[in-house]
Amino acid sequence: MNQRWNIDRRTFLRGTAGALLPLPFLNLMEGKTQPLAKGLANASSTESPPLRFVTLFKPNGVHPPSWNINGGTEFDFRTSPLMAPFAKHKDDLLILDNMGDFGFSSHANSTRRFLSGHHQNKDSASVDQVIADRIGGDTAHRSLELTTEGLFTGQIGCSYISYDKDGGAIPRESDPQLIFDRLFRNPLSDTSQRQSMSNLLDRVNDDAKALSRKAGYQDKQTLDQYLTAVRETERRLETLEKNSSAPRIDFSTLERPPLASNLNEQVDSMIDLIALALWTDSTRCITYMLGNSNSRMVFDFLGVNEQHHYLSHFFRNFSRSNLDNLLKISLWHMEKFDSLLTKLKSYQESDGTSLLDNSVVLFGSGMGHSDNHTAQRIPIVLAGNGQGRLKTGRYLRYSENREVSSLHLSLLKTFDVEADSYSASDAPLPGLDGSYFPEFRERPFESWATRKAGSITAQGRLRMSDNLDEAKVFYIDIAGQESVRIEVVFRDFHDFNLPYHVGTPITLTGNGSSNGSQLLITKVTELKSLFGNSKPGTQNG
Amino acid sequence: MIATLSRFLFTLLALPAATFLQAATSHIDGPFESDIQPLLQEYCVECHGGKKVKGNIDFTIMTSPEAIEANFEIWELVSDVLAYQEMPPEEEDNRPTSTEIQQIQDWYQQRFIQSVEARPGPFKPRRLSAPEYRNTLRSLFGFDLETTIMAAEQTETEPSLVLKLLPTDPPGNSGFINDTHAAPLSSHAWEQYAYLADRVLQELFSLQRLDALETLIGENLPPAFRPTDLSPKQAKALLLRFTPRALRRPQPQSHLDSSFAHLNDLSGLALVDATQTELKALLVSPAFLYRGLLFDGQPAKTQRVDANELAERLSYFLWEDMPDERLLEAAANGTLDTPDGLTAQIDRMLASPKSISLAQSFGAQWLGLADIDNADNDVNMRRALRSQPYDFLNYLFTENRPVMELIDSKTTFANYVTASFYPKDKAQMVKYKKPKGIEKQTVPNQRLTLTHDEGRGGILTMPGILAMNKSPILRGTWVLRKILGERLGDPPDDVPPIEIAGPKANLTFRERFEQHRSDPTCARCHDKIDPLGFAMQVYDDRGVYKLDPNYKTPKRAKEHDDPAETLDTSGQLPSGETFANYEELQSILIGAKRPDIIRNAVECTLAYALARKLEAYDRPTIDAIAESIDETNGTWRDLFIAVSQSLPFQKTYVSAPSTPKRDS
Repeated sequence: MNQRWNIDRRTFLRGTAGALLPLPFLNLMEGKTQPLAKGLANASSTESPPLRFVTLFKPNGVHPPSWNINGGTEFDFRTSPLMAPFAKHKDDLLILDNMGDFGFSSHANSTRRFLSGHHQNKDSASVDQVIADRIGGDTAHRSLELTTEGLFTGQIGCSYISYDKDGGAIPRESDPQLIFDRLFRNPLSDTSQRQSMSNLLDRVNDDAKALSRKAGYQDKQTLDQYLTAVRETERRLETLEKNSSAPRIDFSTLERPPLASNLNEQVDSMIDLIALALWTDSTRCITYMLGNSNSRMVFDFLGVNEQHHYLSHFFRNFSRSNLDNLLKISLWHMEKFDSLLTKLKSYQESDGTSLLDNSVVLFGSGMGHSDNHTAQRIPIVLAGNGQGRLKTGRYLRYSENREVSSLHLSLLKTFDVEADSYSASDAPLPGLDGSYFPEFRERPFESWATRKAGSITAQGRLRMSDNLDEAKVFYIDIAGQESVRIEVVFRDFHDFNLPYHVGTPITLTGNGSSNGSQLLITKVTELKSLFGNSKPGTQNG
Repeated sequence: MIATLSRFLFTLLALPAATFLQAATSHIDGPFESDIQPLLQEYCVECHGGKKVKGNIDFTIMTSPEAIEANFEIWELVSDVLAYQEMPPEEEDNRPTSTEIQQIQDWYQQRFIQSVEARPGPFKPRRLSAPEYRNTLRSLFGFDLETTIMAAEQTETEPSLVLKLLPTDPPGNSGFINDTHAAPLSSHAWEQYAYLADRVLQELFSLQRLDALETLIGENLPPAFRPTDLSPKQAKALLLRFTPRALRRPQPQSHLDSSFAHLNDLSGLALVDATQTELKALLVSPAFLYRGLLFDGQPAKTQRVDANELAERLSYFLWEDMPDERLLEAAANGTLDTPDGLTAQIDRMLASPKSISLAQSFGAQWLGLADIDNADNDVNMRRALRSQPYDFLNYLFTENRPVMELIDSKTTFANYVTASFYPKDKAQMVKYKKPKGIEKQTVPNQRLTLTHDEGRGGILTMPGILAMNKSPILRGTWVLRKILGERLGDPPDDVPPIEIAGPKANLTFRERFEQHRSDPTCARCHDKIDPLGFAMQVYDDRGVYKLDPNYKTPKRAKEHDDPAETLDTSGQLPSGETFANYEELQSILIGAKRPDIIRNAVECTLAYALARKLEAYDRPTIDAIAESIDETNGTWRDLFIAVSQSLPFQKTYVSAPSTPKRDS
């Protein structure tokens, strides 16, 4: 329990204007006896905390060799190199595999599909909005739609995942300070803000009247117009004051997040706000795009000067350094997912559970293979068990491709929305709650390694090194034996296209040596795929 | 023809005439009532009064001298259509005699030209437009309120928090958004002002903005200074400097004292709070949000505006921003009141980067450049197309170029995206090198001198202008309205859109179009529009020059885009001039049409500078400036100076308190 409340308080103290020194907010966070209960208005220990839904969208698909889990079963699996940043939350995760759509996909189509089930679903609400209708009713903000990046107007669908009931794109907000102010500095919902606004109105009225005493006809007209507007605001505040059930927390002591100087700070602030907004029950449904689905952002703070979209075409624009840079960006995305989960775990609810326990978080991208725009095996991870509705700590690899809309239908069920179908699906995705699901069965194969003179031959499943800084290092896993390490020179990397075979069983021969118990191949001479050479994006492995 | 006839019969039966005569009894000045009204009654009111009001022209509203005066634009139109025999329509049997026409022309000349004396408009405070407010806030504080969003290449963002949050100002009666008279303050807008004030003050008192705070206090802050270290002396110094700047004129000691009183005996956080409250009250006060409320004019009197008001007028005209310290200084020491002093300030202001607002606000609104956003689907291309006229106008406005170079210039601006529009001249450009890993990039333009005959030169031939007007009709209308200053009405509602389907065999779009628009109702405007528009069809929908030897017709050319081989760009203007191609048309524009173009430029500049619609009494001012620019081949700088020295800019009429209307 001591680990709870390890919120980064500097977030609120950093860049302090000096205006907010006493921080009862922190006391409140530290006071374990008074965590926030359901709703600010009706806190009551007997009520269970509300259920929340959060979506975190990753732009530009993934590099499958580093994202996909190789082999593995429901309870026995090894997280992939790209999953390393959030692997510590394994028990809270439900990693889904073989999700998507057949064929290839444009950026815009894959983006629409991510929360709307199908790219043709253009006249009904995305699933987050249906859920928001169900759970967001009595909060101040029914839902929040957040992003980081400007509008890509050339292909506008790349910029939106949330759509209203008529299928219209919902405007996104990217400014953490603006979100903070809407949540916690709104005179319309906050008593102390209302008071200071009302003082200001008095002051302004006096000033305007003083002016008006000596004004000419035209000036008087102008002042009247001004005072009419001011009076309307006054009246609205008075009505609110009369009707409001005062919130229990004085938000005025919360510090506004500082100005972000780069994307990293912007996203960190936003993730802080997401957790805070959910915990204070200001909203229960949030979607956040870490970028447009074809994001053109440059991650200069990571030392990367190429655009993300350019790098995501890692085949078309292949170079070792481009791939390194792409993986740096992908790892950063994974770190942000980790950071969101860590934040959600650090907040305690009235019944002692964590915020994450009362949430379902959907993380993923609309695309699988980012270079050839495959819509299959798209990255999808659910986190948080949603008050026990989901059975986490598992890897669900379906026997065949499952449409994203079936996941959406399941999510609707999870949030008690009555629906027989959603978008392209009328059958929910099985297995999320621990029920039976048809699991992918691999064709069995044997793994072994032999060494003759300077030549080594190994058969087994190929995988990338967990350490993505060394993208040239691969392993072949051998049952009951240390994995064979392959350090390929650039030429072999290209000639034998190792990344393409990652995840599948191969027989590989090369020159090398042994380093204690580990076999090391440094020059590939032959590579054979055990189950044949299927086209990229369609192979099973 | 049948349709026209039946409309005509219907009009006769409806007979709205009686209403007109009854309404217009006495009150009207002599010559109008005795000489003009009967002619209108006889020839015009059938279609332009009572039940039927064609083209939004209604003569039955002319029931008082004020109404006649206020509708001076209608009379200008009457004079024009009579001069070109456009009205009454040709097929009308009952037409005025030449004596009768002369009678109306004489009355118009007397009433609206010879007898009119220039006088200033009535003094009217106006709210700062959103861009004016943004710029003012920036100048006051020394930093911009920005939206946090990643402005990646090829994405569109609104970087200014002010423009993001404030309601968009609609164009006022003048056609410009700084004419906010008709857009009253809403309570929503007021709340946004209050919020923005909060935001800017929070930021001012943050560690990131210590530099700005230091400048505002006016003394060096010690190292490791935190905003809560603010001393009472510093707080007062801040208010003392800030208040007159924010209100754009010196403030009486009493005002400052009452502000200081709120800070008494406070320190630390409480002092910062109180200081912020004082500043916020200032930032949401009408005297800050409106221009002109603190001008202390003499009631019921025409007078020169005081030096501070003049400084404000000048800076919101040339900079769309508050006066800077040097301008306020010139106001305080009297030099702004002298012609030389005023000219010196104008030159200094045009040299400042802030004068970019002349291109980006005045020029863009005048010429409707926002439409370039519809010109192309690609953001990068759109931006490049948009930046060309911006850079070109900025060059004309700030580098002392002749007004007529708007139409005829050897200078243009292009980057690698627009370079292909200048196949030979682009050789002058420093070649663009794409950085590794950046797919498309927006880069600044380079200046080009047009030395080859590639069909370019002047605003009309800019690719963005051509691409935003994708048909001969839109192009012709644009030139008429924006460049020649013609007041074209909207097409009548009861005329069906021109059928251009029909057999295509051997007919160009132009031929088919002309076959189908022979209806005189259409011809009245299309005789003016079409010759201009079809001459401009030497450029295709993308703005590419069709006479270029390497020109390739686009795969999916629109129907109106006749190919180079069958192109007919000849024509005749209603005023008689004929031309064989676009080049010859351009010669007519810079020759015979020169006075019209200059006059329109003067009118638009004056309306923007005054932030109000021009009235009949502005005519002498317009005439004088236009004449002088025409005679001297005057520059835009000359025009800005002339406008700033003009009577309506320098003077005003302050109405008497509690008088509902100014005496006429």
